[in-house]
Amino acid sequence: MIKLESISKVFPSKNGDVTAVNNVNLHVKKGEIHGVIGYSGAGKSTLIRLVNLLEKPTSGKVYINGTEMTSLPQEKLRKTRQKIGMIFQHFNLLKTATVYDNIAIPLRLLGYDKQEVKKRVEKYLSIVDLSEKQDTYPAQLSGGQKQRVAIARALSQEPEVLLSDEATSALDPETTDSILELLLKINEELGITILLITHEMNVIQKICDYVYVLEHGDVIEHGSAIQLFTNPRENTTKKFLNTISQRKLSPSLVSQLKLKGTVTRLTFIGENTGQPLLAQVSQRFQVVPNILTANIIELKNGIVGNLVIHLVGEKEQIDASLKFLDNQGVGIEELEGN
Amino acid sequence: MEMFIQQWLPIIGESVIETFQMVTVSLFFAIIIGFPLGILVVLTRPGQSLENKFVYQILNLLINIVRSIPFIILLFFILPFTKIIVGTTIGVKGVIVPLVVYTAPYIARLLESSLLDVENGVIEAYKAMGIKTRQIIWNVMLREARPSIVLGLTIATVGLIGATAMAGLVGAGGVGDLAYRFGHLRYEVDVMYATVLILIIIVQGIQTIGNRLAARLKKD
Repeated sequence: MIKLESISKVFPSKNGDVTAVNNVNLHVKKGEIHGVIGYSGAGKSTLIRLVNLLEKPTSGKVYINGTEMTSLPQEKLRKTRQKIGMIFQHFNLLKTATVYDNIAIPLRLLGYDKQEVKKRVEKYLSIVDLSEKQDTYPAQLSGGQKQRVAIARALSQEPEVLLSDEATSALDPETTDSILELLLKINEELGITILLITHEMNVIQKICDYVYVLEHGDVIEHGSAIQLFTNPRENTTKKFLNTISQRKLSPSLVSQLKLKGTVTRLTFIGENTGQPLLAQVSQRFQVVPNILTANIIELKNGIVGNLVIHLVGEKEQIDASLKFLDNQGVGIEELEGN
Repeated sequence: MEMFIQQWLPIIGESVIETFQMVTVSLFFAIIIGFPLGILVVLTRPGQSLENKFVYQILNLLINIVRSIPFIILLFFILPFTKIIVGTTIGVKGVIVPLVVYTAPYIARLLESSLLDVENGVIEAYKAMGIKTRQIIWNVMLREARPSIVLGLTIATVGLIGATAMAGLVGAGGVGDLAYRFGHLRYEVDVMYATVLILIIIVQGIQTIGNRLAARLKKD
């Protein structure tokens, strides 16, 4: 549905060219939700603007539903954009128009007749749960409500694809959750493919099927959300994971603990989160496991458990117990001290 | 007092009408010229949809040149031009042209700053929806800028009233001229006070109407 092929964007500047997006490949299949995560300045906003050509790529190709976008003449590009919805961090509503008009004006400008406009405004306002606010002005709405209006506006053109540019970054955690639920609902019920960018790991956690980690314009790591949460390779990815779960122990603590035994992170996926594997370990082997940190992360497509344990015992007993856990499909990573 | 009113009311009334004529007619034409000019300056700016450095610089220069000339100089400076346009250089007709030339670039500048205040994000959102640039100008930029455009026009109108005071120099009359001729040259202080009072009331009235209208258009 959305496909970027070796897309690059270079901004010329006085101090030499700045590469905002470097040779990015990305493919979102119909009905999926993909997320791009990165720190500010990583090139996320530029990347998402390249998809609907608000930024012209320096090189590479953009396909939306099979149509190559970069070579389209202006008029065709305009038509194709009508099938790509977009929502923004700052909502970008007309301040001088009511909620109703904020959705109706673009529809009118796109040439829909009066009845169709009315029908669509009412339908999509009810989907975002704001029907009773249709005569209100944006200034009287909360941030979450404004974003709902923006979502209704995007949906009212019945797009196949929705681009979300930090849509929850200006919202408080509770409102963020309700907007994420709404995005999930429109993805499931309307079958809309979503590409989002964010700097919040919980957005990825709650709604994304697939994740790209962007740094200095490069995709440094990508994979399914479960892959990334269970087996992150890059430091940046790990740092992002630390933002949602207390994964990190201080190196000095780890060193101290490692004087006796070993400190290991165990990662459980799916059903083995439910099994009392640690109890089995302590019964089968002569080791004493001590849980240092533990958490469970619910992803869109599964559950991931993280456990950092301190194993005390003879070296061969420890190795044998780790091997046992490995055989049970548990991810194992020994932590290093300083 | 009664005698004063009887004696001066017709004369003052006539000059108020003259002032209104000059202001409304020249405001009308100044808007017709100033609006497209202001829109063009915004759209040809670097980074905007019709980016064109050459046109932008030329328009900028033109506006700045006209804006640097005091009205009283402009009035005489463009006499030949006035003659070509309206066929005369005196009376209300003769002063309309310089008033328009004086006010249009001012309105263009005010409109420019109003339009630049419109959040870029909203414009981008409409671009992303596949809406035509022309429609964005009307339905997003001008619409969102309405409250500040109204305030700008209010300022322009008040400035215009000030400029009409000099219209007397080419025999166009008006309140300002009345104050000058009778109040200053013939030293009838009462007339001067009366006209100043009338001017204050007119300006106050226009500013109040402008403020109210802007407040009503503004929804946040």
